[in-house]
Amino acid sequence: MATPAPKPASTPAPGARVTEIEIGALSKTFGRGAQAFRALSDVSVSINRGEFFTLLGPSGCGKTTLLRLIAGFEQPSGGTLRIGGREVAGLGPNQRPVNTVFQNYALFPHMSVAENIGFGLRMQRRPAAERRETVDRMLRLVRMEAMADRRPTQISGGQQQRVALARALAPQPRVLLLDEPLSALDLKLRKEMQSELKRLQLETGITFVFVTHDQEEALTMSDRVAVMSEGRILQTGTPEEIYNRPADRFVADFIGDTNFLDAVVQDITATHAVVRLPGGARLAANLPAGGGTAAGATVTVVIRPEHARLVGDSADGPADEGAVLSGQVERSVFFGTDTHVHLRLSDGTPFVVRRQNTAAATPPPEIGREVSVALAGGAVQVLRN
Amino acid sequence: MRGASMAERRVRSFSITRLPGFGVIALATFVLLYVPIVTLVVFSFNAQASMSTWGGFSLTWYEAAFNNRQVREVSIRSLWLAVVASGLATMVATLAALATTRTSRFRGQTMIYALINQPLMVPEVVTGVALLIFFAAIRVQTGYSGMGYLVIAHTAFCIPFAYLPIKARLETMDLTLERAAADLYASPWQAFRHITLPLVMPGVMAGFMLGFVISLDTVVITEFVKAAGQDTLPTYMLGQLRRQVTPEMNAIATLFLALSVVAVTIFFVLSRKRA
Repeated sequence: MATPAPKPASTPAPGARVTEIEIGALSKTFGRGAQAFRALSDVSVSINRGEFFTLLGPSGCGKTTLLRLIAGFEQPSGGTLRIGGREVAGLGPNQRPVNTVFQNYALFPHMSVAENIGFGLRMQRRPAAERRETVDRMLRLVRMEAMADRRPTQISGGQQQRVALARALAPQPRVLLLDEPLSALDLKLRKEMQSELKRLQLETGITFVFVTHDQEEALTMSDRVAVMSEGRILQTGTPEEIYNRPADRFVADFIGDTNFLDAVVQDITATHAVVRLPGGARLAANLPAGGGTAAGATVTVVIRPEHARLVGDSADGPADEGAVLSGQVERSVFFGTDTHVHLRLSDGTPFVVRRQNTAAATPPPEIGREVSVALAGGAVQVLRN
Repeated sequence: MRGASMAERRVRSFSITRLPGFGVIALATFVLLYVPIVTLVVFSFNAQASMSTWGGFSLTWYEAAFNNRQVREVSIRSLWLAVVASGLATMVATLAALATTRTSRFRGQTMIYALINQPLMVPEVVTGVALLIFFAAIRVQTGYSGMGYLVIAHTAFCIPFAYLPIKARLETMDLTLERAAADLYASPWQAFRHITLPLVMPGVMAGFMLGFVISLDTVVITEFVKAAGQDTLPTYMLGQLRRQVTPEMNAIATLFLALSVVAVTIFFVLSRKRA
C-alpha cells in the first residue's frame, strides 16, 4: 500500500511565503464530443502554506471541480497540480496528503464519533497509542469530548460539522479542503462555525482551501480569495483587494453592491487614470492590474455605494462641495444600520448611495428631489474590458 | 339535521374505507387467506387420523413426522439446498447490486436491470422445462447426476429476489461515504471492507433470507430438475398427498410455516433497518 505519511506542515517563519499548492494551466472537461463540458479552463494559482484560501463563485463556476481535482476525486484533463512540491496528477485521493470536509459531512453512520475521527489514522496504520492520543486531542480541539461514544445520528448538525472537521484534521494533512461546509447550518450556527474554523486554522497552521458561494463568508474568513466564474479564476487577492479594487465586472457585481458607470479615459499613468464621468466631472481612478486601456477609450468604472455621499442633503459641509454627479431621488430603502438612496443620474444611469444611520442622521431626501453626489478619494475603480 | 350531516359528509376527504362493501371484502380476504392456514395448524394437533373431525389435542403427528426417516431426509436436503443456493445467489446479487449502484451510470444499465429481474417475469414452468432439457444434455455428456443441478437451478432462481433488497439498501447509502474513506487514506479494498460492506450487510442478510424462503418453497423448478432420490420437502409433500393423507402432513406443513415466518420476519426487520 502506497499510503504516504503526510508530515505535519512545519510552521513557516513569519513573513516567509512557502507555496503549498501550485496549480498551472489546470483544465477539466467532462464528457466527450458534442456533450463535452469544460468545467475548468486554464486555471493557474498558487496557494501559500498556512493560508486560508477561498474559492468563491456561483454554483457551476468550477470551484467544486477544482477542489475535487486537488482532493484526487477527479483527474485533470490537462495542466499541472503540485502539493508540497510533488506532482499529484494520477494519484488517488488516498495517496494525497490532503483531507476533505464534505458538504454533507459524510460521517460513517456505523461508527462512533471517536471511531470516525480515528479512521484516517487507522487506515494509515498509526500505532494504537498514537491514535488514541490524537483522537483525544481532536475531540478537545473541536470541544466534542463528551460525545466521543455517540453515533453521528445522535448528535446535532453543528456537532456533526465539528466531527467532520476533527476527522479531516486528525491525520494532520498538509492541506484541508472544505466544500461549502457551512451551507447546511442555520445563520446563527454558521456565524459561530466561521470563527471556529478560523480559530482551528490558526491553531493548526494547516493550509485551508475553502469553497463557498457566500461572499460574506469569503470576505470575513479568508487571507486570500479567488473569484471564479465559468471555469476560470477572474481575480485573486485579499478580501480588501477583491472588494475595493475589483478587476472585472463579474467580480464587482458578485461581491457587494456596486454602481457601474461609463467613463472616458482622459489621461493615463501606470496605475492611475483620469476619467470623465457622465455629467462632465473629471476624477482620478484606479486602474486594474495589467492596465489594458488607453487615453480616449470608453471604460466601465465602479463606485461602491458607501464611498459616495449626498451633498446638500444634510448639515455636513457646504451645498456643492466636491459634487461630481447629480441626479434625482427615486426611492430610499431602510436597512437598519444604513439606508440605500436610489438615484437616477442626469444621463439615466441608476446610482445608489449608502447613508450611515448615525444618531445625528437627518431623514433621507424625499423622492423626486435633485441631489448631488460627492465621492471619497480613491472611490473610482476602472474595470478590465 | 339531515342537511347538516350531508354538509359534514361533503367536507370530509375521500377515504376508501368508507366505500360500501369495503368491510365485507376486507373480511372475506382475510378469512380466505388465514382460515385455511389456521385450520391446517389446528388439525396438526388432532389426536385422530382425521382432517375434518376433532379428536382432542395431541403431539402424535409431530412425533410421527420426526420419526419418519424420509421426512428427516428431505427436510435436511431442503434446508441444505436453500442455504447453499441462497448463499450463492446472495453473493452474485451483492456484486450485481454494487456494480449497478456504486458506479456512475453506464451504457446498457437499464438493460442489465431488466436481465437481472427477468426471472421474476418468466413463468416457472418455462424455466423448469428449459432447465430440464439443458441439464439432460449435460447429464448425457458428463454422466454427472448429483445435487449440482438443483443448486444451480435454485441459485439462478433466487438471484433477483436477493438482488432487490441489496440494491434498495445500497441506493439509500450516500456515495460520498466511500469517497470520504478514500480521502482518509483507505485503499479501494479497505473502503469496501470498512465502509460499504458493514453498511450494506443488513441488505445482504435480507436478500439471503428472501432467497432462502423462495428456495425452500419452490416446487415447480425442483420437480422438473430433480433426479430420483432428490426430493425436497415441498416435492415430497406433493408426492405424499397423492397417497393417503394424515395429519402428519399438517404437522410438517406447520413446522415449515413456522420456519418461513421466522425467515420472513428477519427479512423485514433487516430491510427496515435504516442506513
